[in-house]
Amino acid sequence: MTTTEPAPDAKKVANQVFANYVDGHSARLHRVSLNLDIPGRALILTPAQGDPIVWSLPDIRELPDQASKVTFVCTLKDEPAARLVITDGSVAAELRRRCFNRNQTKTTFDGPLIAKWAVGAVASVLLIILVLIPSMANQLAKLLPPEGERALGDATFEQIRSALGHGNFQVRTCDNKAGLTALTKMEATLSADLELPYPVSLRVLHNSLVNAFALPGGYVVMFDGLISAAATPEEVAAVLAHEIGHVAARDPTRIALRSAGSIGVLGLLFGDFAGGFVVLGVANTMIEASYSQAAETAADSFAHERLKSAGVRPDALAEMFQTMRKLGGDAQGIQAYFSSHPATDARITAAREASAGMTASSEPILTASEWADLQNICKR
Amino acid sequence: MSFSSFQTRFSGQKDALFGLAFRTSLLTLLTVGFYRFWMKTRMRRYLWSAIEPGGTPLEYTGRGSEKLLGFLIAVVFLAFYIGVVNLILMFVSFTVLNGPGGGYLLSFVGLIPMYFFARYRARRYILARTRWRGIRFGLEPGAWGYAWRAMIHWLVSIASLGLLWPRMTFWLEKYRTDRTWFGDQNFVQGGKWTMLYRPYLQAILPIYVSAAVIAAISFAANGITMAPILFLSIPWALVGFVHYRVQSFRILAENKSLGGVSFEPLPRSARVLGIYVGGYLMVGLVSSLALTAMAIVLGALAGVFGATSFDFIALANGNLLPYWFVAAFGALTYFAVFILYGALNQTFVTLPLIGHYAETLAVHGAENLTAISQRERDEATEAGGFAEALDVGAAI
Repeated sequence: MTTTEPAPDAKKVANQVFANYVDGHSARLHRVSLNLDIPGRALILTPAQGDPIVWSLPDIRELPDQASKVTFVCTLKDEPAARLVITDGSVAAELRRRCFNRNQTKTTFDGPLIAKWAVGAVASVLLIILVLIPSMANQLAKLLPPEGERALGDATFEQIRSALGHGNFQVRTCDNKAGLTALTKMEATLSADLELPYPVSLRVLHNSLVNAFALPGGYVVMFDGLISAAATPEEVAAVLAHEIGHVAARDPTRIALRSAGSIGVLGLLFGDFAGGFVVLGVANTMIEASYSQAAETAADSFAHERLKSAGVRPDALAEMFQTMRKLGGDAQGIQAYFSSHPATDARITAAREASAGMTASSEPILTASEWADLQNICKR
Repeated sequence: MSFSSFQTRFSGQKDALFGLAFRTSLLTLLTVGFYRFWMKTRMRRYLWSAIEPGGTPLEYTGRGSEKLLGFLIAVVFLAFYIGVVNLILMFVSFTVLNGPGGGYLLSFVGLIPMYFFARYRARRYILARTRWRGIRFGLEPGAWGYAWRAMIHWLVSIASLGLLWPRMTFWLEKYRTDRTWFGDQNFVQGGKWTMLYRPYLQAILPIYVSAAVIAAISFAANGITMAPILFLSIPWALVGFVHYRVQSFRILAENKSLGGVSFEPLPRSARVLGIYVGGYLMVGLVSSLALTAMAIVLGALAGVFGATSFDFIALANGNLLPYWFVAAFGALTYFAVFILYGALNQTFVTLPLIGHYAETLAVHGAENLTAISQRERDEATEAGGFAEALDVGAAI
């Protein structure tokens, strides 16, 4: 930049251009005339009274995200409370060209402070979700009266039926008499002499998912798809024994109480960004999947014991796992099932080991005709 | 109009604000929500700078990083409160009431004082980061005092069947205003609470009239459907409510003073109502156009893959297009709709509303402004974090 450079806009600056100036100490608005000192790289602000103020062009900073596309609102690097507001379009354009550092932002670095609180926030959330809430839930689950658990189970069961249904129609519960009789006999054999907090309530849902689950209050729910996929009644019995294990340990109640606490905390973290509700659901599923591993292993061991005392070889569970895995290729529910039931190989091995040296009882868990009844449980 | 009066100019532009909202929402999505603190900062900077009382724009000086920090601070405290309290309430609810309803209700009630607390703290942060003519605004500490007063006012308003509502509006506004400062000069809320009754009649009358009509009809003849009455009375009540919001703002602002400075706001209820109706129509229209466009694109793609008929069930089963593709497209649509909705809402509702309130505001006695000096910076470390965490004050 040289002094001989013709600058038509600068001429206009020389032609008595005015702007509004505030010093950052008082709300008094000063009308100042502007002069550009090109060799000195400075903008000179001359108020009606008092000494001219010199702003060095490289030190001028424009305020970001301003609504007016014309007005140039700027401040000075070392005087961050002062403001100069220039409404004349051509002068504003000229200054935007000459104040080459105008977009430089002062980096107020909160890094260490943010890091400190981020660690604190993560630690407190982890502590609450992974330690405090689970241990409270475990204690409270023991104190919850059976009627309360039953109410929790009723509510959840209806929600699941609606979620799997179409539109306003809930998914159908199968109530073929002969089929239910067979299933009840199987359950009675498996939970003989067992002290459960409440009786097991068996439900079969008319759905092709190859899955089963337990709910608070003694609900054991199976999908028709699982019964159809099973090759023998023993495979169904193995799954049933596993779910009774969850009932005996009151796992569903603990999980329900846990999620009541953890969903609130997760909602806090993700807020409402772009439908955070979905993110929330995913995150909660991940947490549940991770903390149900220990519960799954315990329910498996429980199933091995119950199957043995009922005269069924525990490797029926292994067979069922392999059936599920084979079907896993195209059925949707399977991936979901396995995500919360990890390390299937280990579970298959465990079931086979539990059967070592055992011979199955000569009396099958269901007779051939009872097995046929069970397979037709959803026929009307 | 005297020499020392001025009007307020508004320079906000829909296209510019939409661009800013859309870009920053996209960044928020890409950063799984973390950019939202900077998004909020930039949106406020834009909206504040669009309001120019006497030709000098307002300025928002908050920063994204301090909002993130405030949010983290709030999380440390609230995670404990929400997690443990929710769990206990759920337990009590199932033990005593045999159902989840009571627990949800109680955990909601438990958050009400936090809501008012957070609102006040967020206001303090916003005012501490607002400047005009280089001078900071400020709000004195007093969030807990505000929270318990607000709770009592709500109880009284409900117990009086809504008749004492204007009393709450006035006293809560007075609590906030009398603690608000511009530089070293504080605002004073004058007037009486009864001055709000005139506009309030428009809000309460439709409710009382329709209740009386329904009671009279059900007394006279049983089994007549009440739907037509509600069809009339609900829109009437909504119009009345908007009218009350706008006119109570006007009356309260007319009775505020700042040293010798006074205010003359002239917002029109009809205009505000028009902005709401027209704005939400635009939001709905543009959103549904965008969704239709997405559906057409998906249909065209299915055609490319050789499908002869467009069947959503076949689509969902992965028979027309690869399953992963449909899932990804669905997720994309889902997030796009949320981003679009937020940006459109800011553009067609928030911006015109602020614009109307700004352009109808005149300031008198401006010569008294020159005596006002700068105030100390209020750190307000938690930076609206509680409000952010609890998702209150989400409007701007």
